[in-house]
Amino acid sequence: MSALAPEERPPSLRDPPSPLPAGARYFCTVGRGLEPFLMREIRARLAVTQVEYVSGKVFFTTNSGLTMLKQLKSAERLFLLLKRQPPLIISSRSKGKVFNEIQRLVTGDPMCWVRAVSIWRSLELEENLPPEVAKPSKRKTGENENIVTKKLKIEQTLAMPGDAECQLEKQNSDKMEEHKDLTTEKENFQEEKSENDGEKEVEHHQGKLTFRVSCRCSGTIAKTFTTEEVGRVIGIALIKQFGWKADLRNPSLEIFIHLNDIYSVVGIPVFRLPLASRAYIKVAGLRSTIAWTMASLAEINVGAVVLDPMCGLGTILLEAAKEWPNASYLGADVSDSQLLGAFDNLKSAGLMDRIELFKFCVTELPLLSQSVDVIISDVPFGKKFKLGKDIKSVLHEMERVLCVGGTIVLLLSEDLHKYLQDYKESNITWNSRC
Amino acid sequence: MRAQAGMKLLTHNLLSSHVRGVGPRGFPLRIQATEIRVSPVDFNPDFVTRMIPKMEWAALVEAAESLGHLSELPRQLEEGYEKDEDFLRKVHHVLLEVEVVEGTLQCPESGRVFPISRGIPNMLLSDEEAAS
Repeated sequence: MSALAPEERPPSLRDPPSPLPAGARYFCTVGRGLEPFLMREIRARLAVTQVEYVSGKVFFTTNSGLTMLKQLKSAERLFLLLKRQPPLIISSRSKGKVFNEIQRLVTGDPMCWVRAVSIWRSLELEENLPPEVAKPSKRKTGENENIVTKKLKIEQTLAMPGDAECQLEKQNSDKMEEHKDLTTEKENFQEEKSENDGEKEVEHHQGKLTFRVSCRCSGTIAKTFTTEEVGRVIGIALIKQFGWKADLRNPSLEIFIHLNDIYSVVGIPVFRLPLASRAYIKVAGLRSTIAWTMASLAEINVGAVVLDPMCGLGTILLEAAKEWPNASYLGADVSDSQLLGAFDNLKSAGLMDRIELFKFCVTELPLLSQSVDVIISDVPFGKKFKLGKDIKSVLHEMERVLCVGGTIVLLLSEDLHKYLQDYKESNITWNSRC
Repeated sequence: MRAQAGMKLLTHNLLSSHVRGVGPRGFPLRIQATEIRVSPVDFNPDFVTRMIPKMEWAALVEAAESLGHLSELPRQLEEGYEKDEDFLRKVHHVLLEVEVVEGTLQCPESGRVFPISRGIPNMLLSDEEAAS
């Protein structure tokens, strides 16, 4: 993997000292299939130990501060790990017995909760000084990404076979998530207002703790219990155990619980917005985590010429230019509306200097042969491009403009992938590494 | 924040007309600019040093001159330029800081004109014009 931008090296030199010298244990949610990339990224960016993963989650211990943690680009959300244990046994037990077991997540080891909350408090303090400037675009990003991502889910369910499960799970707790997203917008607005009152936030936390439980259930447990039921059991147990107050609209503390056939995991989200929701992307096309991961595979060196010949809204170029700024980025599309959207995105992200846009077609690249070092693209799935002649022209052109030793990274549907495998085998000249 | 971006000379140096039958004679495209923008970009000597070997030097000089921004750029590349910061800064300026916001690019062989509007060159060919 190419080195991360020089700014990202030795964390110890750049990072303000963490309030937790011994470190804390975290986990990230991650799109299915991206786990190896996230693990690689974590090891490159942070000083970590005990890295492990189960489907959709990567666990790690680190004493790196929030500034570094916030840089993670292939993760969905970051959580402080509170509990991770084997899955609850559901079959042939009464509902009441299972409820007791769910309760025991809280009552079984109260000190674990106390410790976690105190770690969370010191992280919150770290995040609040200096006070963060919550940009207006942050609100919009959350809202837009939710809508656009949903559209993408419908259109591109063939995209990453592993991703489908993650999406299904999301739909199970969709109501909870939507509610949370809407209130998150409101919270950000309030954060903006009180951005100068960092101290006020601290006081608020020292006082009575308010909380909200976010639940995700899948597998066997989801057949017998609703997320609301599980959330309520936990909530009541927390109120009884610690005297906390529930607040669905603007809690200071969020508890995230994920129960399935593989594990029971409890965590506290570290940031209000998901890591995947980028402050610098106004309207997302391709999912930001996937876009960044594709760029990280491309090995973008200083002075590289990087092309996305089907750039759409420019998400891949934005992610790449943010991480590897010392390269030259070109984006092209045939659609005026997409180019306008891309232009808008570039402007909001302040990347107009790094990324240039063109209107041209990938089957007719108006570029000199061997003039491009890297091509990264999300290939449209079957609607715009017919398998056969079109894809052949696309590949032929890409190969023509690519330098010797250049790299192409393409996101394909299963059909396209299979087609390309066959095509590659029958094609003798394949000079560049693809 | 700037409202408009434009085509840089670095990129122009990579562009070639893809009109049918034109081949290598489609480079370099002739620039006619009606609106040019000059705006500062952070100087990175490493970036410039690596870009120079990728450029067609004569075409770069010609393009810069046609925009009136030759800026003392030598017509010939001289050895040892990697260590000449003065020179690198001049190249940096020409490659990255001069932008064509409005204008046209013309294929030297076929005469086909490609418009640049709001900084975005439109190089889409019709089916008849396309090489394949």
